[in-house]
Amino acid sequence: MKRRKFDLAATPGKAAVGVDDRFAVATPLRKLLNKVFPDHWSFLLGEIALFSFVVLLLTGVFLTFFFEPAMTEVVYDGSYAPLQGTPMSAAYASSLDISFDVRGGLVMRQMHHWAALLFMAAIVVHMLRVFFTGAFRKPRETNWIIGSLLFWVGFLAGFTGYSLPDDGLSGTGLRIASAIMLSIPVIGSWVTSSVFGGEFPGTIIISRFFIAHVLLIPGLLVALISVHLGLVFKQKHTQWPGPGRTNNNVVGERMFPRYALKQGGFFMVVFGVIALMGGLFQINPIWLFGPYEAWVVSAASQPDWYVMFLDGSTRLMPAWEIPIPIGDGYVIPPLFWPTVVLPGILVGLSTMYPFLEARHLKDRKSHNLLERPRDAPARTAVGAMAVSFYIVLTLSGANDVIADKFQISLNAMTWAGRIGLLVVPPLAYYVTYRLCLGLQQHDREVLAHGVETGIIRRMPDGRFVEVHQPLSASNGHADGHGQLDYVGWVVPKKMNRLGALGPAIRGFFYPIEKPVEAPVSPGHPPVEARPEREEIGSGESRR
Amino acid sequence: MSTHTEHQASQGPEPLDVNDPKLTRFDIVREGARRDDIEIVHYEPQVLPGTKAERRLTRVVAGFFLITGLAATAFLAIYIWWPWQYEAGRGGDKFYTPLLGFTLGVALLAVGFGILTWGKKLLPKEVSIQDRHEGQVDSEGRTITGQTMLYMADELGVKRRPLLGISLLAGLAPVAAVAAAPLVGGLISQPHKNNQMFTTGFAAAEGGQRIRLVREDGRPIRPADISSGGQLTVFPGIDHGVSNRHADSPTLLIHLRDSDAQESRRANEKVGHGDYMWGNYAAFSKICTHAGCPASLYEQQTNRLLCPCHQSQFLITDNARPVFGPASRRLPQLPIEVDSEGFFVAKSDYTETVGPDFWERP
Amino acid sequence: MTSDNDRRRGLLARLRERPAARSRGRRRLGAAVRLIAALMLAGGAYTVFAPGAQAQDNPQLTGAAAEGKALFDVSCVTCHGRNAQGVEGRGPSLIGVGAASVEFQVSSGRMPLARQEAQAHRKPPVFNDEQTRQLAQYIQELGGGPVVPEGDDLREDGNIAAGGELFRINCSQCHAFGGGGGALSSGKFAPSLHPATDRQIYAAMLSGPQNMPVFGDNQLRPEQKADIIAYIQETLKHDQDPGGFNLGRYGPSTEGLAIFLVGIVALVFASLWIAGKS
Repeated sequence: MKRRKFDLAATPGKAAVGVDDRFAVATPLRKLLNKVFPDHWSFLLGEIALFSFVVLLLTGVFLTFFFEPAMTEVVYDGSYAPLQGTPMSAAYASSLDISFDVRGGLVMRQMHHWAALLFMAAIVVHMLRVFFTGAFRKPRETNWIIGSLLFWVGFLAGFTGYSLPDDGLSGTGLRIASAIMLSIPVIGSWVTSSVFGGEFPGTIIISRFFIAHVLLIPGLLVALISVHLGLVFKQKHTQWPGPGRTNNNVVGERMFPRYALKQGGFFMVVFGVIALMGGLFQINPIWLFGPYEAWVVSAASQPDWYVMFLDGSTRLMPAWEIPIPIGDGYVIPPLFWPTVVLPGILVGLSTMYPFLEARHLKDRKSHNLLERPRDAPARTAVGAMAVSFYIVLTLSGANDVIADKFQISLNAMTWAGRIGLLVVPPLAYYVTYRLCLGLQQHDREVLAHGVETGIIRRMPDGRFVEVHQPLSASNGHADGHGQLDYVGWVVPKKMNRLGALGPAIRGFFYPIEKPVEAPVSPGHPPVEARPEREEIGSGESRR
Repeated sequence: MSTHTEHQASQGPEPLDVNDPKLTRFDIVREGARRDDIEIVHYEPQVLPGTKAERRLTRVVAGFFLITGLAATAFLAIYIWWPWQYEAGRGGDKFYTPLLGFTLGVALLAVGFGILTWGKKLLPKEVSIQDRHEGQVDSEGRTITGQTMLYMADELGVKRRPLLGISLLAGLAPVAAVAAAPLVGGLISQPHKNNQMFTTGFAAAEGGQRIRLVREDGRPIRPADISSGGQLTVFPGIDHGVSNRHADSPTLLIHLRDSDAQESRRANEKVGHGDYMWGNYAAFSKICTHAGCPASLYEQQTNRLLCPCHQSQFLITDNARPVFGPASRRLPQLPIEVDSEGFFVAKSDYTETVGPDFWERP
Repeated sequence: MTSDNDRRRGLLARLRERPAARSRGRRRLGAAVRLIAALMLAGGAYTVFAPGAQAQDNPQLTGAAAEGKALFDVSCVTCHGRNAQGVEGRGPSLIGVGAASVEFQVSSGRMPLARQEAQAHRKPPVFNDEQTRQLAQYIQELGGGPVVPEGDDLREDGNIAAGGELFRINCSQCHAFGGGGGALSSGKFAPSLHPATDRQIYAAMLSGPQNMPVFGDNQLRPEQKADIIAYIQETLKHDQDPGGFNLGRYGPSTEGLAIFLVGIVALVFASLWIAGKS
C-alpha cells in the first residue's frame, strides 16, 4: 500500500508557513518577540494591578452565576441559621447563598474582594513609583492621566461592588453616597432621585449598580488598561540611568523567552497570594451585618480602604453650612466640600501634575531616564506632602476604631486629624526636602572622597584618620585621586559593593560551586577600584 | 554583566544573508534583533549543560511543579469530600474555605515559582540594547501626512461651501441629543413628587387620623414600655412603616430622667416646641442630618447622641443640637402625645426636614 | 471561674431560703411587679439625688444583706457613702439601682473603681460570687431595683435569629456587628461583649450601666433578652468564622491594613527577587 510520507517534525514549520502566507505576520511577530524591556523590581508594581484585575474578572464571572441583583423582598431560608426567617432583599439572600450554600462560593467571594483591595493598592503603589521617579514626564503624560483615571474608575468599580450584597454595612455606605449626591448645590436632589429612581433607597439601585459593576465599569477598565499598556509598548519603558543606558536606548532583556517567563510566573504568584488571602483571611463577613435596614447601623462603620480617605475628610470637616438667603433660602451643606469638591480638586491636580511641573521647570524635553527621588527634591517633597495628606485622611476614616482600640478620646482623634491635616503635609514637605538634599550631599561626598573603609590610621603626629577608598584612579590631584561626576544612579557606599568581600557562595543547603579564595582580610591595603566604574554615564549628561 | 556595554546598535555591520548555511541559529537570532535595532551585547548561560548546578536547578523546578500537582489534587479532594455545610454553633466547615484557599494558593505559588526559577536561573542572562529612535523626528512623514489631510479638507470643500458645514452641524446636534434623550429622560425622576423630601411616614393620614408610634414588630408603645434612661427605635404605624420604603421615618423615642427632661423642656420652649415632649418622653429623628446614617448611639448619662459614621454628636437635652463633628443641623423632633388608649401617637409630622441636607431644604 | 461551685451552692442556699417554689410564670409575674415598683422607686430616688435624701436608717436586713453591708462598709463606703446614699463628686447614690446593677459592676470587676476616668474598665473581679451576691442583696434591700433572674444559663430556648434582629436594632450601633465594642464621645466606649457572661449581659440590659441605655423588661421581654444573649453567646462567640482568620472583626480598616502588610509586602518581596541579580 502506498502512503504519503508524513513527517511529524516538519508539521509546525509547515503550519507556520501556511499562517504567514495568509497573514504575513513573521516580521511583526519577530519585532514583538525581540522587544527589549528593562528589568527593575519597581517596574513590576503595575503588573500586580494588571494581574489582580485578571483575577477579578475570573472570580467575578463565577459570582455572577449565583448573584441575583434584585431588591425584591424575600424571607431567608438558607442554611445560615442566625438569619433564617429574616426578611431581606434577594440580593442579600443570594450573597448569603454564595457564602453558605454554594460549594466553594465563599472562597471565591473572598478572593474577589481581596483582589479588589489588591488592585487598588497596587495602583496606588505603582502611581507612587511613577511619580517619585519622574516617569510621568514627556512623552508619557497621557499615560499618567490614564493611570489616574484608572484609580478613579477602579474606585467606582470597588464602591459599586461593595454595595451589591445589600448588607447592613454597604447599605449604610449607599445611604451616605445618596447624601453626598444630595449635597450638590442646585441639582443635588434631582441627581439623587434620578440615580435611585425616587426616594432613597428605592427598589432599583442594586440592579443599576449591578450592570455598572459587571458591564460598564469593567468595560471602561479594560479599555483604559489596553490603552495604558499599548502606550507603554509604543513609547517603550523608561529605565534607570546606569552603565550604557542613555535617553535614546532601552537596556534590558528581550521579551521572549526570559522576560515573558518571569511575567507568567509573577502572574501565578499574584494569583497565589490572592488565593491564600481569600482562604485564610476572612473579609467582609456580610452574615454578621444583617440585611440593610435604614435604622440599623454598627459602631465602626467604614468603607473599604481606598474610600476611607473621603470618609476621613468628611469626619474632619467642621460643621460649616453656607446658607444662601434668596427667596425661600437655600443651603450648601458641609458634606459638599469634603466629598464632592475635594475629590474634584484631587482628580484635577493629579491628572494635571505633569503639565504643571513641566511648566514650572520650563522643561520641554523628552525623558526616558528616570530620576532618583533625591535628585528632584521639590517633586519628592510635593509627593511626600500628598502622601501624608492622604494618610492623615485615611487614618481619620478609621479614627473611631483607633480611638476605641488604643483608648484615645474620639473627639481628640477628630481634632488631631483636623490639626494634622494642616500641619503634617508642610512638615513632610520640609523634612523630605532636607532629606533629599542630605542624601545628594552624601553621594557627592563619597564620589569625591571615596568609601569609608572602617580602617583607622594613626598619623605620626598622633591624629587618627579613617582611610577612605577612592572610587577612581589618581589624576594628579593633591589628595591623590580624581573626582567623579554624579550620574543619577546608586553610588557604592560600602566596601563589599566594591568587591571587597568574595562573592556569596551559591546554593541553599550546600555549596554548588567551590568557594573562591578567602576574602580580603581587614589588614589588606585598600583594593583597586574596578575599572568599569569609569564608564558610568547617563546619556543625558553626555548630550 | 556590565562589562559588555559597547554600544553599537544602529551603526552595526551590513545585513547578513540569513540563508547562508554557515550561520548558526544564534547568528540568525542576533541578525533578527539587529534588524529591530537591538544589539545583544551580553549573552551568557548561567548553568552549563550537564553540570551539577543544572541538574540541581532542574530538580528544583520539577519539584515546584510536582508541589503544584499535589496541592491541586488536595484542593479537589477537599472540595469534594470535606464537610462544608454550615451548622450553627458547631462550624464543622470552619476549615473548608481556609483549606481551599491554602491548597489553591500553594498550587499557584508553586507553579509561579517554578516558572520563575526556570526563567531566572536556567535561561541565559542577557543584556540587549534597543534603540528608541527618540528625537529623530520623521519630518518628511509629518509633511506628507499633514499635506494629505489638508488636501482631504480641500476636497471636501467646507471652506468654499460653508453651508455644508453649518447644515451638517445643525443636523448632527439634534442627533446627539437624540442619543442622550432616552437615557436622561428615562433616568430622570422628579425629587419632589408627593412632597416626599419634606414628609415622613408620620404625616397624618387623610381624615386627620394621627399615626401611632410602633416597634419593629408593629406593636404600639405605652409609656411604661421604656424605662427611665432608656431608648427605643420606633416607626410610623402605617403599612410598610417598618421597612426601607420609609427610610426617613425611623425615630428614637427616649425616656429622659426627670432633671434632664426639665432641661429638655426648657430648651424646647426656647425654640417654640414647648409641646413636643410628652412627660419625660422625647422623640427625635434617627436619621442623621449630616449623611443620613442612623444616629443612634445614645449615651444616657451625658444625653449625647453619637452618629457612628462621622462622629457627629447631638445634645438631646438641647433640642438635639449638634455639639461636635461635621453635622450642622439639629435632629428634627417629632411632637408626640399619648392617645386615649394609652399609646404614643405623633401629633403631626416632623416640622423640620428629616435626613441629610440639600440645596432647597429651608 | 473557679467559683462556679460556690455560686451554685449559693444559689441553692437562696432557693432553700424561699418559702415555697413558685411556678416560672408566677415568678416572672412577680418579678415584673417588683420591677415596676423598683423602677418607680428608682425614678423617685433620682429626683431626690441631692444630699438631703434619706434612706431608711435602720432597715431590717436579712443575713446575706447584713454580710453585704459589712463588705460595703469596707470597700464601697468611701465613694458611695453611708447607706449607699452617694458622695457628691465621688460616687452616685445606689438607692434603687437594684441587685442587677451591683452584680454587673462588681462581677465584671468595674467596681471598686481603680481610678476616676472617663469610664470604668473591666478588670478581674475583687469579690467572689458569694460576696457579690451579698453586696447585691444589701443594695437590693436598701432601695429595691431590677434583679437578674436566677441561673447561669439565661439563654435557654433563645432563638438566635430573633436575637440577631434585636441585636442589630438595639445593640450593634454601639457594640458593633461583631460584638467587639466601639468608641463613644470623649473617651467613653461601649465595651467588647466577648468576656461577658449571660448574667452580666442580662444585668447590663436591665440596669443600663454608665452610658448604656436601660432596656427594661417592658421594652425587651425576658424571652427577648434570652434571644439576644443566645445570639451573642452562640453566634458571635461560638460560631467560628467560616472565612478564615477574622482580622479582629474590625471591618474594612483592618482589611485595608492587611492588604498592604500582607498582600503588597509579599508581592514587593517577590518582585525584588524576580528582578534581582542572581
